[in-house]
Amino acid sequence: MIERAPYAQLLGVCEWTDADGNVGLAMPASPALEGRQGFLYGGVIGSLLELACLAALAGEGEAKEERPRPINITIDFLRGGLMVESYAQARIVRLGKRVVNVDAFCWQTDRDNPIATGRMHILRPPGA
Amino acid sequence: MEAEDPFERLKSMPPRGHHALLGIYHVAAGADWAELACPFSAEFLLDAGSGLVSSGPVISLIDAAAGAAIIARTRRWEPMATLDLRVDYLRAARPECTLHARATCHRVTRRVAFTRCEVNDGEPANPVAFAAASFFFTSEP
Repeated sequence: MIERAPYAQLLGVCEWTDADGNVGLAMPASPALEGRQGFLYGGVIGSLLELACLAALAGEGEAKEERPRPINITIDFLRGGLMVESYAQARIVRLGKRVVNVDAFCWQTDRDNPIATGRMHILRPPGA
Repeated sequence: MEAEDPFERLKSMPPRGHHALLGIYHVAAGADWAELACPFSAEFLLDAGSGLVSSGPVISLIDAAAGAAIIARTRRWEPMATLDLRVDYLRAARPECTLHARATCHRVTRRVAFTRCEVNDGEPANPVAFAAASFFFTSEP
């Protein structure tokens, strides 16, 4: 469902599911995502992490009528993103009644060497 | 003389890459701050039906404004990388509204620059987001 969001389409993000049924996002490199020459823009990496967090929550069967709202996000940039395809996956740390804590990471060629990690608090819509 | 100034050079550079995609442009600046803006686009929506604006463009605009604030303060053209970025989303941005991000670089050391940023969608007294970001100068000593 995240890949149907106009903003996800603007970035060229699409969804995939791993062998365990966990949702992940993939984002091919494109000149429109570049920051300083030869590197993926930091804001784009942050946005991909954020979309991964929202996708993980949507995978929990979150109510569709009202969207969950981001409260805040913390992004650590570990290394420069190259102009190659990027991937992101998130894990729900705690699914509270009102607040969800989510961890996400983003990698390129090697899943064990992430280029960025993120943490998010998300407010669940009432009655979810 | 002005053409030699790194910040003037930054302002006069045509937008490219992701800045160009989002339509980010320079608004104003001071000795240690810079304000950048980004006009609304229907492509920023998270949900076409509900009109909910994604916070992704907010992150990118903050990154851009914070970087500009550092150059406004240092007046140096040094390659740098964002170390970390924390954003508090105070409320959802309204559709159809231009986003403004005003970043201040409040401390620079030899290797690291610290910034804060405030984002609004037309009413500075009613901000959309607060952020803190730190940057690392990547050139070798």
